[in-house]
Order: sequence, then C-alpha cells, then structure tokens
Amino acid sequence: MKDLTLEEIRHKVETGELTFVQVAEYYLAQIDAHADLNVYIEVWQEDCLAQAKALDAKLAAGQSLGALAGAFISVKDVICVAGRSVTGGSKILQSYKSPFDATAIERIKEADGILIGRTNCDEFAMGSDNRNSYYGPVKNMIGQDKVPGGSSGGSAVSVQIDSCLVALGSDTGGSVRQPAALTGVIGLKPTYGRISRYGLLAYASSFDQIGLIGHNASDILAVLNVAKNTCANDGTVSEMSNNPVDLEEVGEKLKLGIMASAFEHESINEEIKEKSLEFIEGQLAVNHDISPASFDYLDYVIPTYYILTSAEASANLSRYDGIRYGYRAENSESLDELYCNSRTEGFGPEVKRRIITGTYVLSSGYHDAYYKKAQKARRFLVNTFEALMEEYDAIIAPITPKLPWGIEEEISTVDLYLSDIFSVLPNIIGYPAISIPIGHSKEGYPIGIQIITKSWNENKLLKLAKEFSLEHQL
Amino acid sequence: MDLTNLEAVIGLEVHIQLNTEAKAFAPESAKYTNIPNQHISPVSLALPGTLPVMNKMQIEKAIRLGLALDCEINQRNYFDRKNYFYADLPKGYQITQDSDPVCLGGKFTLENGKTIRLHHIHMEEDAGKSVHDISPDYSMLDYNRAGVPLLEMVTEPDFRNGDEVEEFINTLRRLVRYLDVSDGVMQEGSMRCDVNLSLREKGSDVLNTRCEIKNINSASNAKKAVEQEFKRQLKLLKKGEEIKQSTLDFNLKTQKLTVIRVKENAHDYRYFPEPDLPPIIISDDWIESVKSNMGRLPQSYFHQLTTEYDLSEYDATILIEYKDIADLTLSLIQESNIDPKSIANFIVNKYLPDVKTGTDDLLEYPLSQEGILEFLTLIESKKITVSSAYQNLLPHLLEQPHKTAKQVMEEMDLAQDFDLTALKSIILDILDQNPDELKKYQNGKKNLFGFFMGEIMKATKGKSNPKEAKKELMEILNTRNG
Repeated sequence: MKDLTLEEIRHKVETGELTFVQVAEYYLAQIDAHADLNVYIEVWQEDCLAQAKALDAKLAAGQSLGALAGAFISVKDVICVAGRSVTGGSKILQSYKSPFDATAIERIKEADGILIGRTNCDEFAMGSDNRNSYYGPVKNMIGQDKVPGGSSGGSAVSVQIDSCLVALGSDTGGSVRQPAALTGVIGLKPTYGRISRYGLLAYASSFDQIGLIGHNASDILAVLNVAKNTCANDGTVSEMSNNPVDLEEVGEKLKLGIMASAFEHESINEEIKEKSLEFIEGQLAVNHDISPASFDYLDYVIPTYYILTSAEASANLSRYDGIRYGYRAENSESLDELYCNSRTEGFGPEVKRRIITGTYVLSSGYHDAYYKKAQKARRFLVNTFEALMEEYDAIIAPITPKLPWGIEEEISTVDLYLSDIFSVLPNIIGYPAISIPIGHSKEGYPIGIQIITKSWNENKLLKLAKEFSLEHQL
Repeated sequence: MDLTNLEAVIGLEVHIQLNTEAKAFAPESAKYTNIPNQHISPVSLALPGTLPVMNKMQIEKAIRLGLALDCEINQRNYFDRKNYFYADLPKGYQITQDSDPVCLGGKFTLENGKTIRLHHIHMEEDAGKSVHDISPDYSMLDYNRAGVPLLEMVTEPDFRNGDEVEEFINTLRRLVRYLDVSDGVMQEGSMRCDVNLSLREKGSDVLNTRCEIKNINSASNAKKAVEQEFKRQLKLLKKGEEIKQSTLDFNLKTQKLTVIRVKENAHDYRYFPEPDLPPIIISDDWIESVKSNMGRLPQSYFHQLTTEYDLSEYDATILIEYKDIADLTLSLIQESNIDPKSIANFIVNKYLPDVKTGTDDLLEYPLSQEGILEFLTLIESKKITVSSAYQNLLPHLLEQPHKTAKQVMEEMDLAQDFDLTALKSIILDILDQNPDELKKYQNGKKNLFGFFMGEIMKATKGKSNPKEAKKELMEILNTRNG
C-alpha cells in the first residue's frame, strides 16, 4: 500500500479495484504481522472496519466523500480521541479516557479520515529513542535490536511497517523528524501555531506542535490541509495558519543554504555526513542554488532547549496529581503524601528528571541564571536565524548526528540530549522543518536530511520532499 | 517606641470576582451556584490536552476599573504561571499576572479628602473550593469557582484606621457594581480582602513588621479585624514582645481573630510567562472606547440628587448604592411632577425593603415604573391620604399589580372624599356626642385632642386627610373655648 498515495488509493477504490474495507484489512494485517515491534498500544480494529464499510456504502450510494476518505491514520498516545484512552505512554494516566477529540482529530474525522490505533511513544513525549515508555520500547523494523528514534517512535514505525497512510505524532524538539529519519520515512513539523494543540498532551507548550509522518509528501499535505487552521480552543494558533499550503506557489529553483557548521559538527556520524554531502552536491545542486549558510551558535541550542522545555514541562505535568483522574497512590496520610506517592509511582525516571530540572531552573535564586538566560538565548537564536533566513528559501541541515543505536545500548542522558542538537532549532524558533530519507548506511540503516524554512512555508518543504525523498527504498 | 502615641499602617489586597458570563479561560458559566461542580469543563478541570483561551471581557472590565481609579493602563499584557500544589487548583498552577499587571498606580479619595494610593491591579483566575466538613473520611472538592476571573487590587499602606478601611471597601463595592465589573456580593465571595497591618509611632515613616488577616468577607468585618489587630499588636508591644510576621484568620461566627501561622515560609511560586496565552495588546482605541462607554459613576448621581433635587445626603447615599435604583429614582423624578422627596421616601422605605438587593433581581418589583407613578400621583393629588395609601392601598396593589392604583383605590373605597363642609359637620357631631370629653378638654386635659382625632378617623373610615382634620378640629375647639 505504501507505493500508493491517497489519491491513488482513492482512484482504485472509486474504479472498483479496491474497497475501503480491503485497505483497512491490509493495514490491520500489517499491524498483526509486526506485533513484535511494540508499535501499537491499542488497535481500533472494529471501529476502523466499520467506518471503512460505511465509507464503501457511502461511495456506493453516490454520496460525496471527505478529503481524507481512504486515509487511515495512527495516533500517537499523546493526542486525545473522544472515548478512548490516552496515557502519554505513562503509568500515571492508565485509567484515563479522554471525553473529547483533539481539534486535529475532530477535523480528520469530519473529512472521513479513519483512525486505526494508538501508537507507543516516550513518556509524555520526552525522549529520543522511545525507550522511555511505560509500555516498553518500540523496535525499528530495519533491525529489531535498534531503536526507531523518539519520542514518536511508534508513529514512525507505524508508517515504516505500512500500517497506515499517515501517522500523527508530536514534535517538541525533533520527536517527529528524528524517528522519521531513523526509520526511512518523511516527518514534518509544521510551523508553531499551524495545527491546534487542543487535545495534545502538553510537554513544552511553546515548542510543541503536532507533526505528520508518511511515505508521501502529498499524503502529509492532504492531512495538513485538513488539520490546520485557527481553533476556538487554542489561542496560540495563528491566523496565518488559515492560509492554504499550496505546492504550486513554490518556484522551480530555490535558494538553499547549507548549514556547514552542522555538517562539520564533531558529533556527526561520518556516514551521515558523507551521504548528506553526496545528496547536496549530486541532487540538490542540480536544480537549485546552493551556498553555505553560516550559523555559529549550534552549541547554544541544547542548553536553551532543555532549560526552557523542562521549565514548561515542570508546570505542564503538575496536573497529573492523582486528585481528579489518573493514577492515585494508595495509603497516603496527607495531601502532600498523596501527591508525592502518586507522582513518584506514576512517572518514569526521564519525566521525573525533567520535572526536577524544570523546577530547579525556575526556582528563586536560579531563575535568572538559567530560565531567564535561556529565554534571552532563545530570543537571540530567533533573531539570528530569522536574519539568516532572509537570504534563503530554506536551510539544509542534518536531522540527527546518529544512526539508529541499540535498544540495549547504554547512552548517558547528556549524550542522548546532545544528539538532539540539529533537530531542536526549528522548535526553538517556531519554524517548520521536515526530515526526508536520502539513503542508507552501509549496514542498511536509513539516513535522513532536514530542511528548515520560514514560518508558513511548509509548501517549500513538501515540494522539496516530493522532489527528492527516496521513498520506498528500504 | 512611644506606646501611647501609635498609629496603624494598613494596606489592603482586595480580590474582586468579575461578573463575566464565562470563566477567565474556559467557556462555562462563571456565575455563582451552590450546587457543587455545576459549572465545570475539561479546561477548568485541567484534563490532559486542554488549553486556556482568553475571555476578553475580563480585560475590558479591568480597563474599566483601572480608568475609574486613575490607573495607568498597561497596554502589553502577559500572563504568568504561579506554581503550587493544592487540591482545589486543577492545573497545579494559577494563571495570574506577576510582572506586568494590567493597571499601574491609581488613587482613591475618601470622604474626608484623604487619598489612598493604589499600587496596581492585576488579572488572575480563582481556585476551586476544598470542603472539609461534609464527610469525616474525605475532603470534597467543588470546582465551580475554579477559573472564575478575578482582579486583585493592591493598595499602598495608606489607611490609618478601620473606618477608612470600611469606607474604602463599601465605596469600592458600589463602584464595581456601577462599572458592571463585579456583583460585589461579599457574602458570596465576589469581593474578599486581605488586610496588612503594622504599628508605628505617629508621624514616623518607618514600616514595621506587619501581620496579614486573610479572606475577610465584609467591610464591617474588615473594620472589626483592623481594630482587634491593632489591640493585639499593642498588647504584645506592651508586654515587651516583638511583632512576628504572622497570618491571621477572622472567624465569621465568633468575630474573633486567631493567628494561623507565624512567619510564613517564603513560598517559591516559580513564576514564568504562560506560554499558552499570546500577549494581549490593549490599543489606544480600545481604551478610548471603554472610556466613552463607562457610564455615570455614583458621585455624579449623588451630586444631582442632593443639589438639583434637594434630597438629604442620607437618602441620596441609600439611593445611589445600586446604579439601577439611582436610575429608577431619577427617572421617576424626571417623568412626573411629584415631589422628589416623596419619591425618595417611597424608594427608601417601601421599594428597597421589598426587593432583593445585590443580585440580578434588583428590579423585581411587582409595580412597573408607571404603576409606581400612578400610585404616587394619587397621594400627590390628595386623592388618598398618605397613611391610607401606604397602609391599605399599597399592600393590595402589590398583590394585583395588573390593576391601576386608582382601580384598587376605588374598589376598596379608599378615596379621600370628604370636603371641608362634610368634615366640619362630622367634627361637630362627634363633639356633640362626647360632651364629657369636651368638658374635660376645655378644662385643660389637652391630651383628649388625640381621642377626638381617633373618633374622626373612625367616622371617616380613614379617608379624611389627617392634616386637614387636625386643623379643622383645632379651629372648632378654639371657637368653642371662646
């Protein structure tokens, strides 16, 4: 199915070559066949088949179909679907069911998109390899002993195993783009404020954005155009989000800046560097103007990112207190003890680490040295990068310095944080960015490259993705 | 310190609950209800994935109050998160304004001409309520109030006694009602205040260690709390003890102060800008439009009622307590030729005691404005005596407000229909029928005048004008004496 775009699937259904039920059955079979990868926490088989059947009937009755009829979509376990569990990959929300649909979900449903299941992820989207899940790690289809990246590891692998057309993930510092790169698919983080965050479990509010993973740029575009737009339940969605994302508007020849400091960074894997430069010289340069883009502040992005996201997370996760919903520890003698026990037992170690870090950087005496300083650094990075972007249509950078690492491999927390060095920048600035597959390592692991552009220019990213991504070469 | 010459230095923090339809950042009703957890939503319960969304009315109302109190309006507003854990705080943080409050400075003038300076007014959301006395095993939570918009007004320490505090709160409460900013019903918690008080020698400008009395719910209690706290601190000083920074509670039932905790741990609220709410820009145009739609303020009504219509300050003060009442009074005066004093008298003594005050039903009175005017016109034109109108006619009229006052008067046969000649002959008859009493009167027992008056009223079934009857009786008795 992954060779087919949504448009092609629709065509086949409309000409009687396929039915929506058959498409659903195919995807469900893929889920079964790859159950050992631990991708799905919950598969909505019955509803999925019933809705496919209803769509077939609708088509037979000559009724018009929504823009996403034929699009089967997996949902990261941080996005709310009415009546369904949503747990953020955490023990603390085990008993919780959402009473409402996230705005993106609501719009997808209205457009006849079908939700196929809930995918595994790092707890509250905190992690870079999907090893921080209460449900256990997700495995990379390319090598089952390898991580798929994170935090949207389940989302990326759900596309990788061809169990859905598009996966809904979330991207706070690369959580959609990095796993897409490690699994050989396309991952888009739209502009901050493009898709409503209503119904997305908050990790770091000023960085979070619902992201999309798929095999084809056109499928991602189709879902983006349905999910975007202003929303009465999220004041941070910009009016600009209402502008359509139109690939036709993008010129043939783009001015692309190559972020040299990133490709030359000491942390980057040699094979990734080699492949990337090969791609830039051999393919990008053929049709586009390329020139080096100087950005000298890469070493500031990790501290800035982790201080600010941890600070926001420390407040965002306060609501998980065992009082109104979710896990509550038994036998607590006082309110303080109830909080302490519920949160100690309910949260995993990485979440606790970030809550504690965030609490620390905001506490009096340290607020100025950490939080305030990081805010200034963010402002500086925004200004610097905005100025840089004046000269280019897009910037090309690596997405991750690493090839997929071992699920059992011990990596220090700091090293893992540092591996986000190329992916956090767009979140710090709010710019959209995409990761597209460009080839494989000698051992056959996927390699991706990142394209970053100005806010509301997702069309440029998708146009380039369409032009260059080496899809289906796994 | 010279303990015989001390003064109190008092500052207030007043929480004003706004009367917006919806909550500050959530769509459900912000109205008070005593049914627990009626007004809740995913947002105010802080369910996963929910976000606050700005209700702009709270800003509009903040601007209105700020302009009325001569504050400077901060045109670029941010909200902050104030982090702490409590069961009635669903998100684990309160959305408030820490660094950039919506109103800066401002002032308030007391009746004695003294100025109270305001430090600032900021916007924030209220918390829910924890109820500990329903069940022996559980604490109960009511989230109706969670997310209701508040303004917190912080004054400079410019008050010196309880009377000033009481006047300030009463006048502020009236002002917020006029501005349609708050219901100002203190019993329902729509205004609460914290009082900070310290002592010093009169004339000094040092600020000594202060104590804080939390959550006072009426102006008179604030006054009592101030007076008790003054005495408490004075007593400690007389014993040679030092004042320690403390938090006190003023118990409503016992009307007594108790110290809850001494030396509060400096709470670290870890404020930081609320990333879920974009900054609110208040344009010059917005401020201008609020200014031009502000409506009349209480002092303007007071001035008109006391100078133009010559009402007493006492009546005027009562009449301007609620804007609706002040408007009604003026309208009644201006749409009739009835003596303004009679109208004031009716509103103060009849209307106000009958209507519920302090709620939306302020004007829920059986008689329409026309009905009231008809009633008062009957008295004014001497169709009915004042006492009969109030004692007999009005109660019946209120029970059948669809009828006119005149109809009811006629049905009840209450019209004042005795002309002077008829009245005279009735008086003469009564004197003839009571020769003994007349004799006693003529012999100096002057209090029998009341007896004759009573007989006249009985004979005329209350339909005679007592003033006229009195005058006639006096004249006749005088001639008989002669």
